[in-house]
Amino acid sequence: MNTTRRDFLRYCGMSAATLGLTATDLFTLSEALANPNGPAVLWLQGSGCTGCSVSLLNRVAAQAPATAGDLLINSINLVYHPNLMTASGVSAVEAINAAYARGGYVLAVEGGVPTAFGGAAGWAMTEASGHELTIAEAVKKYGARAAAIVCMGTCASWGGIPASGSNPTGIRGVGAFLGRPTINVGGCPPHPDWMVWPIVQLILNRPIAKDSFGRPTAIFRTKVHERCPLKERDEAKYWGQPLSCLKSLGCRGPEAVAPCPTQRWNNGVNFCAEAGAPCLNCTSAAFPGRDAFHKFPG
Amino acid sequence: MATTITIDPVTRIEGHLKLEVTADYVGGRQQVVDARAAGTLFRGFETILSGRDPFDAPDITARICGVCPTPHNQAAVAAIDAAMGIEVPDNARLLRNLVLAADFLHSHILHFYQLAVLDFIEPPGMAPWQPGWTEDIRIDPATSATLVEHYVAALDARRKAHEMGAVFGGRLPHTAAFIGSGFSGMPSAARIQQFRAYAAEVVAFVRDVYLPDVDAIAATYQDYFQIGAGPRNLLAFGCFEEGPTGADKLLRRGRRAAGSTAIAAVDIQKITEDVASSWYTGNNGVSPRSGTTTPAYPKTNAYSWLKSPRYETKVYEVGPLARMTVNGDYAGGVSVMDRHLARAAEAMKIGLALEGWLDQLDPSGPLFADGSMPESASGIGLTEAPRGALGHWLAVGNRTISRYQIVTPTCWNASPRDARGVRGALEQALVGTPVRNAGQPVEVLRVVHSFDPCLSCAVHVMRPGAATPVSVLSGGGWTSRSAARAYR
Repeated sequence: MNTTRRDFLRYCGMSAATLGLTATDLFTLSEALANPNGPAVLWLQGSGCTGCSVSLLNRVAAQAPATAGDLLINSINLVYHPNLMTASGVSAVEAINAAYARGGYVLAVEGGVPTAFGGAAGWAMTEASGHELTIAEAVKKYGARAAAIVCMGTCASWGGIPASGSNPTGIRGVGAFLGRPTINVGGCPPHPDWMVWPIVQLILNRPIAKDSFGRPTAIFRTKVHERCPLKERDEAKYWGQPLSCLKSLGCRGPEAVAPCPTQRWNNGVNFCAEAGAPCLNCTSAAFPGRDAFHKFPG
Repeated sequence: MATTITIDPVTRIEGHLKLEVTADYVGGRQQVVDARAAGTLFRGFETILSGRDPFDAPDITARICGVCPTPHNQAAVAAIDAAMGIEVPDNARLLRNLVLAADFLHSHILHFYQLAVLDFIEPPGMAPWQPGWTEDIRIDPATSATLVEHYVAALDARRKAHEMGAVFGGRLPHTAAFIGSGFSGMPSAARIQQFRAYAAEVVAFVRDVYLPDVDAIAATYQDYFQIGAGPRNLLAFGCFEEGPTGADKLLRRGRRAAGSTAIAAVDIQKITEDVASSWYTGNNGVSPRSGTTTPAYPKTNAYSWLKSPRYETKVYEVGPLARMTVNGDYAGGVSVMDRHLARAAEAMKIGLALEGWLDQLDPSGPLFADGSMPESASGIGLTEAPRGALGHWLAVGNRTISRYQIVTPTCWNASPRDARGVRGALEQALVGTPVRNAGQPVEVLRVVHSFDPCLSCAVHVMRPGAATPVSVLSGGGWTSRSAARAYR
């Protein structure tokens, strides 16, 4: 059985959801996708937790690619992804190196770059030569021939939780480590739409405007608190008080830049503050910071 | 002639794992005669937590693993509750159960379809499913095609399990609603109804798709009831609290030693960690209560960033098979296929428990207990991750975290050799595994994937060791077991 993308689409009973893209966009996208050697995406994992990948799988959107299945089957040529690819070991390394030889791919990085112990705090793979490639070496190598680098999540963008406190493994964000601009999709994890959006823009060859932290301004524009449905309510006096503004409990919504209150999470089901949980400002370059997340009034 | 096979990266797992196995002919059959498993990432969460507010621990430790973050939330709030000396209100206990259950269901479904099933079927002809190995594919093309359809359906089912958890948790992965002394999400009547509707869908997928598919794979690969046993010692901390004291759980605490059918009690004091093969300084045989995590790289004879947890100095396997066996819900053996069957049966058991917890929620009841964190205190939080027993050891001094130690399931399962030179559970399970084609050692992947390893905690391996005793695989003689049978 050697199915094509089209066969696979058919027996999966899926249809391409097409809302929100113009006919020209769709044509460009389908042209690009029709070429199996086309827009390759390599997904490297550094010092992270796989939460960004898991969040990506939660994708549901009106715009194509509509779901995680649609994304994997019809929308991107995901040549290397440690959680999803069939191949292991040498076969996996051959797959990424074939794309590397061609160059021009989109490099997605999840997790920061460990630099302590000469890079030994994190290895990525063993090459055919027997050389053990550290994450730092892998980011350098595969970054060099990438058309663009998208940092998926706060760790790849700026270091995140593993870089906090005394930063025991010398974590650096990918852009700072390589000394080159990256597209920084903040979030611990990011909403799936925030990760899919820049990949689609890159495939369509569209420019991506960024803020001073490298975050796409199309996504990271407004403060969480500005759009929060709880902001007009009284501030909570105790934990577990129904439907209150959470500023008094430590909510970082007034500083956080993210569309969570309007976009909502998990197919629109909810978001942190609506579940009574203060915003942690996880899309920030300074996340998690040293200050306590929570306050206990009284 | 022995062959050394390096698999790095091991894909379709959580985190960074390198395997080095030595294959040789024993009794005319090529098989694994030695194995070293090494997690290849160290992040130092214990150090990162030091000096922080104790109430930060759930949100920080959740980031140990994005596939199973909620068990870390649960272990951390349990440790905080214990340090505060409080019992949380029933609402908080039930809501924690429900969101933890949502994470289990997402994880078990993800594990079978996205991580494990590609070891047994002909995958779709495109990236990321190609290139793939062709060795020992016994599932016929029509069934393979059906399983590929179910792979896609499973993406939706596991997504809905996360949406279900977000009903009370705000979002998944990485809910912020697990807070020491309570739980922040409100159980309104509308939210309870929303969770109930999701539960019906997810449970239907487990019952109608997941269980029969596991049985189909097991029926075709019956030799895998004889492969990948490991130490046969099973340990469970238990989880899903059915009462305020922690004594009553959906899945009970206990252990079963190899060769015994008796379920024995777990004495937490008998858990110790060795660092003989790990890149850390410190003594061997130390309780996590007083343990440290001080990296030492390079270090002679060390090959992993994982420590070696032991119970009464013995190697124990943790995970769904351990839980279901200890709980009396699974009466099979210990093998690759037993792990898959027990995991699927556990998904169903958890799914069927959701209704009862939803029924007990009180929309107007309290969510938090009164109390505050003492100046100095300590607490242990024990629970289960989808992959096995999880423990957090918290010590508070000056109202901040003075010590935090985490023993993850994959530390139990994928640990390196201990101070006595005894291999970890996965290493033991690999020895004796047949290898038909050293260029495509799919049998090795099947053993690894059956444990559902989650390496984001820390790890590394390699450097082939000295000759070690070879255990020879016994052939033939399997029993027919069914995950679906019990529920239909």
